[in-house]
Formats: sequence, structure tokens, C-alpha cells
Amino acid sequence: MEQIDQREMLTLEHYLKEYGQQAEIFAGQLELLENGRMEALAAIEALQGLLQSGDGTVLLQIGGGASMRAQVLEPEKVLVNIGADVIVERSNKEAVEFLQDRVTEMAASEKKVAETLDRLRTQMNEIARRIEQGYQQAVQAERAAQPSSAPSDQDA
Amino acid sequence: MFGGLRERLQAARARIGSSIQAAAAPPKEHGEAPGLPAQPLPSSATFADKVKTFVIDGELIITDRELADALSDLEMMLLESDVALSVTDAIIGHVKRDLVGRHRRIGQSVDTLVVGTLRAALLDVLGKGFDLSDYIRSHERPVKILFTGVNGTGKTTTVAKVGAFLKKQGFSVVIGAGDTYRAGAIEQINVHAERIGIKIIQHQQGADPSAVLFDAVQYAVSHKIDVVLADTAGRLHTKANLMNQLEKIRRVMKPDLIVYVDEAVAGNDAIVRAAEFDKTVGADAVVLTKADMDSRGGAAISIAHTIGKPLMFLGTGQAYDDIMPFSPHAVVEELLGDG
Repeated sequence: MEQIDQREMLTLEHYLKEYGQQAEIFAGQLELLENGRMEALAAIEALQGLLQSGDGTVLLQIGGGASMRAQVLEPEKVLVNIGADVIVERSNKEAVEFLQDRVTEMAASEKKVAETLDRLRTQMNEIARRIEQGYQQAVQAERAAQPSSAPSDQDA
Repeated sequence: MFGGLRERLQAARARIGSSIQAAAAPPKEHGEAPGLPAQPLPSSATFADKVKTFVIDGELIITDRELADALSDLEMMLLESDVALSVTDAIIGHVKRDLVGRHRRIGQSVDTLVVGTLRAALLDVLGKGFDLSDYIRSHERPVKILFTGVNGTGKTTTVAKVGAFLKKQGFSVVIGAGDTYRAGAIEQINVHAERIGIKIIQHQQGADPSAVLFDAVQYAVSHKIDVVLADTAGRLHTKANLMNQLEKIRRVMKPDLIVYVDEAVAGNDAIVRAAEFDKTVGADAVVLTKADMDSRGGAAISIAHTIGKPLMFLGTGQAYDDIMPFSPHAVVEELLGDG
């Protein structure tokens, strides 16, 4: 088994910490993407539902858990933030198509971030394994250094 | 990198090409014009000019109307890729100026014409980039580079990557651990510095970052080091006290370059933040991290044109080598190339 010295143990601990911080950032990003995708999916469902509902009545949440019935004046026209903080008016169908494209894009990004996160976690597991190995070696070395004929109770 | 933008631009290229092709399909009897160079024709070209050109020279004139739909599509595609509105306008304006009223010689490839125009429009907004090695070679040493930006964008890792890059280029480098605020930041940069074999100047956590960076500069001067890379704590541009601290660092350290670091995936937000940082403490160049995760590419395309500062590097992964000097030509080739 390869010997791990004290200095390497310290470096490995730093790496583990650093990878942990990076993993945290990527996990946060993954969560943001997932939330964005879920929001887009909910918007698609709402837009499609509005067309099917006929009179365009929706529940408008006004905070504090309270909602009111409200009517959408033009369920056919949707204002969409298409990017770069630019908002354009689109038809319901176009808005749904746009959101579907966004969902696909976000799913692809999620996949990439998840892969990076997986790689980081694999590296972290490997480092943790090395640290554990070093720790075991240190314990064994300590035991070996102790005198083999320690005084027993009977000798007392 | 920027896969989504690439797809959209390829679609725009095909769309503009087919618009020109459809509107200006040459009558077969004319054949190709004999070796005349294509010259732009003013948009005020009269009907007689057009007919004359068409009949005599065997050329076609591309009109505004023929391109209107394709340009509108291109505009949407760019905005959907998070390309800033002003940059989108500049690209559309360039394409329009370049194509409308232009003589297209019959037989000349429409695709070549369109790609050439898009390439020129993109290069126009991307600026010239920033060659850090050239800058260092042509300035008095030590060259002091201060890294700023908001939290969590990969500033410290970028400092390490730039350090590794410069070391490979043959420069001697010292890092100043100026992020004395974030727990573990000094340790983090220390590990990086040790791994890439670069000297680091550090104080205790909570120390005055100006003092740390001043010491780093003094060390560089006394040891004839080429470059000082100054890491700083991430901060939001809205936090006045932290921005004042950065201002103090700037006064004490007198950096030659202030580099703003943000993540490409932040899209338009990165552009807004970069502009704010530029206003308060200044910025000479920009580094965008996590470009490999960014499918839209909006920030990378827009930042140079929007804040008027060049993009210096793109961060493309976790390893120290995963940083590439920003080359407008390489990026445009990647976006418009057939590969």
C-alpha cells in the first residue's frame, strides 16, 4: 500500500474542501436550472389550459394564501421575455413553442452541469478514500510504535 | 461551447441565404458576369439603376424588402440567445448595411456572401480581444493585475488559471491573497498556488486586503517578478462599503489592469454587473468563466460591445489548462464554421 505522509494528508483535505465548495456552486446552479425548467413547464400547462378553458377564468394569487377569480382578457396574446431582458408579444401557440425550446435548452444545460457535478463527486470520493487510507495507516503506525509487551493488570 | 447560439446562427445563415436566393434567382440566359467586382449600391439606387445593372452587368441587387423577414428572424434568434439589445441592433445594422443595395454577381455563392457578412458583423461587435502576454511584454514589470467581481463566479480559480497560463508563457508570477473575507479563501488560493508552483503572499483572515496586495507588489518589485495577480473578495456592486474597500485597494496597489470576472451563464446579468463595476472601480478587461456550460453565448458576444472593454479569457472547465485566451476570429469560426 502506498504510504501517505502528513503533508499530503493536509493537501488532500484542502482539495476535498475546495471540491466541496465547487460542488456546492454547481448543485446550486443545477437547482436554478431545474426550477427554471419546472416554471417553464408550468407556464406551458397554464397557456394550454387557458385556451381550453373557454372563458379564460384563472385564480389570481394576491399573496397571503388568498386568491381571486380573474379573467384573462386576451388568452391568445402572451408577453414573453425572450432573453436579454427583451419582452415581445407572441401568440399563445408561439409562446408555448418558445417555452418548449427553452425547456429543451435547460434540460441540456442541466445534463452538462449534472455530469460536471458527478465528476467532482467521483474525485471527492477518491480523495476521501485516500484520506481514510492515510488515517488507517497512521493508526496502524501508531499501534506498531507502541511497546508490544505492555504491562497487564496481572503484573500489577 | 455556445452550441445554442451556433445552431441559431446557422439557421439564420440558411434563412438569409434562401431569402436572397428566392428573391434574386438569376434568369438563366444571362449567365455569369465577366469578372466584375461586387460593389455596394446606395440604397437610393433607382429602378433604372437596378434594371441597368441587372441587364447589362448580369448582376442582382439585394433589396431591403427581400431581407426584412430573414433579418427579423435573426434579431429574434440573437435576443433569444441573450445577446444584448444594443449588440443585436449593431449586428442587424451591419448585416443590413452590408447586404442591402449590394450587387450580387450571378453565380456568386449566396452562402459565401451571407457568411462573410455575418462574420464581419460579429467581429465588429466582438472587438479585438486582449492579448495579456503582449501587454505584459510591452509594459514595465511588475504588471499588477487586480481581479474583481461578484461572489461565486470563480474569481479565485481564475486567478490560479491565469497564473498557470502566464507561468507556461515564461513569466514569473506572484499571487496576492486579497480575499481575506471569505472563510477558506486564503487556504483555497494557497492550495492552488502550491499546485501550480507560484509564490503567494498572504495575511491572516480578516486582514486589510490593501495591505496584503501592497505586500505582494513589494515582493514582486524586490524579487523582479513579472506579474502580480491580486485576488479579491467577491462583492455585489450594490454594497457601497465593499465597493469603497475595492476603491482603497485600487489606490494602494495602483493596478495596471483591473479584470472583471463573471460567469458566462449569467447572460445579460453579467453584462449589467460588468457595466456597474466599470462605473465604480473601473475595468480594463473581462474574463467569463463557465463558458463550457453556456449554450447561449449572449454574454460573450455582448460584453465587449456593451461596456467597451475587451474580453480577455474564457474559462472552460475545472482544470488549470481550461482557460482560453479570447480570440474573436476563433469564436466566429466556431459559430459560423461548417465543422
